[in-house]
Amino acid sequence: MKFHVPIFEVKNLNFDVGTQRILSNISLEILKGEFIAIIGPNGGGKTTLIRMLLGLDKPTSGEIMIYGKKLNRFKKWDKIGFVPQRASHVDSNFPATVQDIVNMGRTSKRGLFSSMSTHDKELVNDAMIKMDVLNLKDKMIGTLSGGQRQRVMIARALASSPEILILDEPNTGVDVVSQNRFYALLRSLNKDENITIVFITHDIGVIADDIARLFTINQKITICNNPKQTLSCEDMSLLYGFDAHLIHNHKHDH
Amino acid sequence: MTEMLSYEFMQNAFIAGFIIAILASVSGTFVVLRRYSMISETLAHSALVGVAVGLVSGYNPLWVAVVVALLSAWLIEYLRSSFALYSDAVLAILLSGSLALAVIIVSLGGAFNNSLFSYLFGSILSVSKEDVIVIVVVGSASLALLLAYSKELYFIAYDEEVAQTSGIQVKLLNFILVSVVAVIIALSIRVVGSLLIGALMVIPTVSALQFKQGFKNTTLLALSFALVSVAFGMTLSYEYSLPSGATIVLCVLMLFVISLVLNNSKR
Ligand SMILES: Nc1ncnc2c1ncn2[C@@H]1O[C@H](COP(=O)(O)OP(=O)(O)O)[C@@H](O)[C@H]1O
Ligand SMILES: [Mg+2]
Repeated sequence: MKFHVPIFEVKNLNFDVGTQRILSNISLEILKGEFIAIIGPNGGGKTTLIRMLLGLDKPTSGEIMIYGKKLNRFKKWDKIGFVPQRASHVDSNFPATVQDIVNMGRTSKRGLFSSMSTHDKELVNDAMIKMDVLNLKDKMIGTLSGGQRQRVMIARALASSPEILILDEPNTGVDVVSQNRFYALLRSLNKDENITIVFITHDIGVIADDIARLFTINQKITICNNPKQTLSCEDMSLLYGFDAHLIHNHKHDH
Repeated sequence: MTEMLSYEFMQNAFIAGFIIAILASVSGTFVVLRRYSMISETLAHSALVGVAVGLVSGYNPLWVAVVVALLSAWLIEYLRSSFALYSDAVLAILLSGSLALAVIIVSLGGAFNNSLFSYLFGSILSVSKEDVIVIVVVGSASLALLLAYSKELYFIAYDEEVAQTSGIQVKLLNFILVSVVAVIIALSIRVVGSLLIGALMVIPTVSALQFKQGFKNTTLLALSFALVSVAFGMTLSYEYSLPSGATIVLCVLMLFVISLVLNNSKR
């Protein structure tokens, strides 16, 4: 269905802190157009892996390529939209309205001195509509609830019209109703706009059908190429100590 | 008022003062949001070394201060990246080290007198035509750099890591910000004094933050506070023969207290 165009290629990546191994011999590929979910126990190394993919932390050994280039040679970071874990924990006095924050998504696409073009404004507006924060646009970011802030951070990432969207547990603290909307949005971004999605989550139940592949990370990586047949994947997850009942339960709810 | 402005030295002082108000408050927004207040304080003391060298050697202290402040800014960035864990200790060492060095240079050069005092606390009497030209030219260039990169600096202040992953050159921009702040501080020493310039950078923004506005309004509020304080402070300095840095900082403190009271009685 998709062309085999790798966005990320990771080979034999290891990460140690002191003598403790955090990530062990990770190799993976993320292809253009894929919808990847990453699960794993707390402290398993999901966030650490993502930070390495984005050049925020350096691996102890191993190789990371982005769009066919070595990570330190890669320049086109504006293709990547990133929503970090705990993005909603902000300094509540920071002088920013919701609109100010979502505008930041356009920053690296604008020239020096240039003000927001009509195109920029449209993208910002679209992103706020998609994340249902348009009615909050003049509110100060510090006055919003955790879930609202989280949506603003995702809107900022969307406003940058990324080719790949990386979300680190974006749905913690978001209520169930907006979660369903959120999953529908991810599905449509992936299917209709062909945005590659890397989604770290505790909860893949609802979107299991949309996921191309499932990575389980607990120091080592287990790649499940056909998450719809969850049984074998669950077995593998269990092998690595992850509580796979989460997936199981949600399947029933669904 | 008209009498005051009929003197050429007062015209110089007002032109220099207003430009410094703009520079200090605009750069101050980023200084506060990036939590660089301590860096600006350290740079102000380093600039004093330049002043001391200028006073003793006979070069224009303003120029030497700009050069020394820039070198110091780069040294700070280098040390901070090499000894990340102790960056505030590095700043404290540089701050007192600079002050000690400045005092020794001035003492050895036999220039330990009123003119050093005026560089510590500011003096409107001392702003020459040449100073005004330096402040206008170098100040405009600094302001242009800040405005050119203001959206990037704002993004970095909010979330450095996401800014970096979106393709913003965080290291380069931190370097530019610190350099521009160094230059602005050195330029401000004449009017505000090295011991008080930190206050003119930080307090207008902190006052503006009390109003809980977005970026644009916060910047505009900080700018107005700085302009009003400089205008009032310099008038007071003229009327009562007081050091201008001290009167300006007292005015900006008044505005800070008013901002606090206004915004806490609203609730
Ligand atoms: N720079 C670091 N220094 C020390 N420990 C680290 C560092 N980076 C990650 N870790 C450790 O790595 C482990 C994995 O953490 P993390 O990637 O946040 O897991 P997850 O996101 O799966 O919950 C944790 O035990 C964390 O303490
Ligand atoms: Mg995590």
